[in-house]
Amino acid sequence: MVCLEMTKLDFLEKYKQEDEPYVCASCGNCTLVCPVFHELNWESYGPRGKLHLVKSVIEGTSEFGQDLADKIFLCNLCEHCTFVCTTGISLDRFWEVVRAEVRERDLLPAPAKFVLKSLKERGDPMWMGSADRLLWMEGVEELVKGRILKKAKVAYFLGCNVSLKSQLHDVAKSMVKILDYAGIDYTLLGDKEVCCGAPLGWAGNLKDINEMAEKNLEIMEQLGVETIVFSCPSCIQTWSEYSERVKKDHNIELLTASQFINRLIREKRLHFDEQPMITTTFHDPCISARVLKATEEPREIIDEIPGVYNVEMNPSRQNTRCCGSHGLLDVVNPVLSAKIAERRLRDVTVTPATRVVTECPRCILAFDLAKFTTNYDIQVQDITQLVASSLSPKKEEGDRNR
Amino acid sequence: MSSEELRIGDIVGADNVSTTPETCMIYSKDVTSLPDLVHQIVSPRFDVVTQPVDVPSLQNLILYAIENRIPVVPRGNGTSGWGGAIPTRGGFCIALSGMSEILYFNEFESAVTVETGITWRNLLTFLERLGFTLPVYPSSATAATVGGFVASGGLGIGSTRNGDILKQVLGIEAVLPNGKLVRLGQVLLDSKSDMLSERAKEGNEWLSKQLSAAGLGTPEQETKLFTGTYGTLGIITKVTLKIIPKLQLVPFTCSFDSMEDLVRTADRILSTVKPYYMRFLTNEYTSKLGNLKARENENGKYILTGALLDTIYQNEDNVEIIKTTTEQENGFVLDDKRALYYWDERLYPLRIKRHGPSIVPAEMLAPLDMLPEILEKTKYELRNSNVAIEGMLNNDSTASFMVWILDDERKKFSFTVGWYRSFQIASLAERFGGRPYAVGLWNGRHAKKYYGNDSYNNLKVMKKKLDPNNIMNPVKVFGGRVTIGRVSMLSGFLIGFVGVLVVGWVGPRFLGLISLIQLLETSLLPSFYFPPLALIAFAAGLGGLLITRLMTLNQALAMGIPVLKILGKLLRR
Repeated sequence: MVCLEMTKLDFLEKYKQEDEPYVCASCGNCTLVCPVFHELNWESYGPRGKLHLVKSVIEGTSEFGQDLADKIFLCNLCEHCTFVCTTGISLDRFWEVVRAEVRERDLLPAPAKFVLKSLKERGDPMWMGSADRLLWMEGVEELVKGRILKKAKVAYFLGCNVSLKSQLHDVAKSMVKILDYAGIDYTLLGDKEVCCGAPLGWAGNLKDINEMAEKNLEIMEQLGVETIVFSCPSCIQTWSEYSERVKKDHNIELLTASQFINRLIREKRLHFDEQPMITTTFHDPCISARVLKATEEPREIIDEIPGVYNVEMNPSRQNTRCCGSHGLLDVVNPVLSAKIAERRLRDVTVTPATRVVTECPRCILAFDLAKFTTNYDIQVQDITQLVASSLSPKKEEGDRNR
Repeated sequence: MSSEELRIGDIVGADNVSTTPETCMIYSKDVTSLPDLVHQIVSPRFDVVTQPVDVPSLQNLILYAIENRIPVVPRGNGTSGWGGAIPTRGGFCIALSGMSEILYFNEFESAVTVETGITWRNLLTFLERLGFTLPVYPSSATAATVGGFVASGGLGIGSTRNGDILKQVLGIEAVLPNGKLVRLGQVLLDSKSDMLSERAKEGNEWLSKQLSAAGLGTPEQETKLFTGTYGTLGIITKVTLKIIPKLQLVPFTCSFDSMEDLVRTADRILSTVKPYYMRFLTNEYTSKLGNLKARENENGKYILTGALLDTIYQNEDNVEIIKTTTEQENGFVLDDKRALYYWDERLYPLRIKRHGPSIVPAEMLAPLDMLPEILEKTKYELRNSNVAIEGMLNNDSTASFMVWILDDERKKFSFTVGWYRSFQIASLAERFGGRPYAVGLWNGRHAKKYYGNDSYNNLKVMKKKLDPNNIMNPVKVFGGRVTIGRVSMLSGFLIGFVGVLVVGWVGPRFLGLISLIQLLETSLLPSFYFPPLALIAFAAGLGGLLITRLMTLNQALAMGIPVLKILGKLLRR
């Protein structure tokens, strides 16, 4: 055995994670739920194995090389290992810190480097730009007229995927239709919106996340925003964990689209038409289910729409399986990411559902791709799309007020 | 890719073999952290990790190992801490988690047959959907494999009512160390899809002859060859288990101020109510669980928790009996919500590890009436250590208790010295009529006591017959010669060399043997001073080295543990 010097991993110490590889009880719970392990079938790709690898680096019996760096990025950061960890290790946080160590040692995979460069220069992870953040408004100009940077208590934060990817523009359009239908006075950041900062953490730059979040939050503060509605659960997680402003300002409320829509339904602001017997199944996005614990709201919404019947997938709620495209896996290893999405889509095929509904743009993109590769005839929708398409015709202003 | 990897890849499939150091390192671990010194007597890692996906490729792999005299070690998910799945002489790790199908289920026969790599959780989930459950499953059910638990034996959730896991095994299919496939007991399979029945028939005929030559019964009667023997006599590939209907389950939890009160209550509950499961947590354990901090009836108290598996009508009476008994013995019954919390926690005893961050486990079986005294002595012996104790109550008036010694493996010297403490607990429990809970690698010297003299001798005879080259999980259960590292060899040499040098110099002077002193001090070489004593000491050094090379694990432990104990006492651990 080669005996090397003990290796000091600065970031583990800085973020107080140096005990965690030793706290691991090696019980194996994490490995058995890991979507990457399910595909690659070797423990060295599962959380328990990777913890052993990091420990061996600390102890100087192996080196922090490219092979380890690549393995650290073969992870969805889906929070499932954290959720089942016996000794309460916050594993996703740990992997982010190790990614920071990878970045420090200049061992980042090329796609992760690209994401960091794009975030720095363009404000999004896709090398697009602020002007492109207005393209989704085509067709709903009337609805969003006067909404950009308007002073309001509610803000709709689209996130990069929804505002920049054309397949997802309908999610944003549906959301503004719902907000308009419910008579909510809301604001949009338009081309002033920048990335929430989540991909920075996934690519190992923990330092600048707060700064990125601040760019958005500062504008919202000036607009008097009290409630922010998100189409992407990862944005909420990132701001809750890393934004100093959110941590200090306890009056600001961060809600997923389904949490907000459910509230509108309870306030009787939304009314639905009978649908022609639609059987859906709800795919819980990892972050909404395991971090935000928002598993019941989407189901309650679906139950409210007449003619739509929801059946449960196995596994579901907090035990949900990842779609494969979180944590930069979709750019670092698209083939592996697609295989994980296909596995999740297979869960849908054993239910009678013809439509899978979710509330995360990454899940939608992943399933759309998996549909193409598997040839499964399943419709994929965001919860906002299902809600917007099921709304009754709008009543007169006077009727609604009454 | 090495030529060996290519050849093994031809047998099990190229994707199912790895020789990379990091993979071999990961598969060489179980839940226990071992001091570096241990790798002076057992090898630190496997040479190759394989993941066969079917029985024929596993048979071919064994034949390849026999041909090349390579040790093989079967592994489930490595969730045990007895060393049963770790390497002792390098060789092949045979990871069986890829073989995880449910092959047969029949509610009328109350049986299910599975491949051994399936986890208990997945099997339970499958059965519960059909309205059934298992009489016994391990507390590590979330990740442990069926094969791993059956091969190591032991108690689990449900043992309080149904005994150990071995009583739940109806049949076993295994690959012997000579590559033959055998079926012991009653392995239930769908005859149409059973492609291996001819091979198994052939293997059983051969095994029958061996068993009758050893004076044992037929293969149908001898499932115990593979249950609780850690894969030393063969690799289990299929298991048929008993199943029971999933009945109403009522968790309960009581809190006490003393272990004596808890044990008296447990004893009365065991005889009157016959619960499905009963577990205890001592005050050290409950005072360390962070989420009990604000609960004055639980934090730092002795907790007795469990569940009743019976009809709802009987349970109404039984719940009342538990309440009355607990109150009569100065205890306090917690509400249903707390009972449910402890029921859920039954699968997570390792939560305590956060307080280490490392643990040295010691698990023993003891008579229930001696439990308070043993635990008191244990606490006294380990008064300078950070410990947490919990355990399970069985249906034969015994209790298994686990002592988690919390430590920090990063403090290399003190962690190594403190490692002897788990062996110390074993000796202590034995004084009070207890015995080690498991054998595995580390408790081989207690194997006779664990299995019983006759059973152990029969197993030993069969080991010689089935595995003459000792390639199947060597050193486990039956002991054997260990791999010696450089430090051990150097120590052996130095002990011999320095010992003889000191004795040779001091002894004759002390006894006043002038002529011997003169003889030893004359130089053997004219050119430079080279006394005969140096030559004798060198020879003794080589003798010491040879002894370490020939030493068995049990001998190494018998020598090493007292040394660690003395060092430990000096360091007041």
